[in-house]
Amino acid sequence: MRVINKRLSPSEIFHEDVIDASGTYVIEVPEAAQYEGVFLLKGENLKINISLSGEKASCRVKIVYLSCNELNNNILCDIYHNVPQTYSSQFVKGILAESGRTDYHGTIHIPFDSQKCEGMQNHQAILLSDTASVICVPELEIYADDVKCSHGSAIGALDSSQLLYLQTRGIDLKEARKMLIQGFLSDLLPKSFEKDILDWMVQHA
Amino acid sequence: MALLEIKNLHVCVGDKEILKGLTLTIEQGTVHAIMGPNGSGKSTLSNVIAGNPVYEVTEGEILFKGKNLLALKTDERANEGVFLGFQYPIEIPGVSYATFLKQALSCKRKYLGETPLDPVQFIKRLKIRAQALGVSDDMLKRSVNVGFSGGEKKRLETLQMAFLEPDFCILDEMDSGLDVDALRVVGQGVGIMREKCRSFMLITHYQRLLDYIEPDIVHIMINGKIVASGDKLLALRVEEKGYACYK
Repeated sequence: MRVINKRLSPSEIFHEDVIDASGTYVIEVPEAAQYEGVFLLKGENLKINISLSGEKASCRVKIVYLSCNELNNNILCDIYHNVPQTYSSQFVKGILAESGRTDYHGTIHIPFDSQKCEGMQNHQAILLSDTASVICVPELEIYADDVKCSHGSAIGALDSSQLLYLQTRGIDLKEARKMLIQGFLSDLLPKSFEKDILDWMVQHA
Repeated sequence: MALLEIKNLHVCVGDKEILKGLTLTIEQGTVHAIMGPNGSGKSTLSNVIAGNPVYEVTEGEILFKGKNLLALKTDERANEGVFLGFQYPIEIPGVSYATFLKQALSCKRKYLGETPLDPVQFIKRLKIRAQALGVSDDMLKRSVNVGFSGGEKKRLETLQMAFLEPDFCILDEMDSGLDVDALRVVGQGVGIMREKCRSFMLITHYQRLLDYIEPDIVHIMINGKIVASGDKLLALRVEEKGYACYK
């Protein structure tokens, strides 16, 4: 797994600091602090537990997973809005080839008193084969009545009209598939992770 | 010399036959306009030449530079010199125009056995073509066709054509949804590209595109066949009287 963890304030954190004995990333974000985590998975388990514990605390989690034969991912992401006016977002994107499988379970928890919170969850996956599968559960557990939350998931194959367009410009099918996958992941992944994706695609795209 | 020869072409989508024995020869260096009512098979023809797998050729042949075009894959046809300008260009989020064109040109050079593309030369070539069509650097950094206006999309299709330098350009309703200024830009783009060795097939509903790009031959297509061919006066006659007399 490749990880970038940053707390923009008050100080940088490193991912060794936040893993507990069970291998869960336990992150507490204090008042007015921001946390951003970027995770790239290739057949791994990831558990994240984030508590937004002070007003105006926020977190943004970006997860990209790649799955292929025998490389399955399990992702569990819980975000707790413990106080009012806290903000969270989760963006999850995956590519599944061959008989790869991934389970993603994400939950936003907002208790009674945590009014004026905002939470957002979005999962998108591309299946490259008929035997690949993904189980996605984007959950909201909300008890407060003045919050703004959304959750959604979209799973599909590569778009045939996009593939055709690239092919009509002389780009062969394999290259066209790679370009679409890179394009799909480009908004979540930093440049430093690009090579991991390219290496994976050589065999599986 | 004939660049493209279509002989007795029959094409189906599912159970429905759309092209019913179409024959057409396009000589090198000529501009052909194909006009016809909705549903006559004009877009089917352009898609079949470009290699859209949705369409099934049940009979007939297409020769391009003497080669059997139907035996080639879509990307191979493009690299042989066939270009299809889309009526509705497809959006590809996350892939920039510059990356897209770079990839397309490298694939073409590889196919033709030419030396790999030099990045400096690529940028130079792209900038010259882009400037001529009023395409800014900023537009080239954006994702392919995402968030562009109808006019900008067509201008970018014209840029792709100018950049890839194909021998045969099919423009499928390039004029649809364009205002007069955008139409002029596209017309000028095609005008610059008119050369002895390059041919064009313009698919259009309206005569006005032909004011900017003067065709050598105009064909009228009805119900999957070419029913009349003539010079540009034919287009004017259609504009005036409609297609009724050809049905």
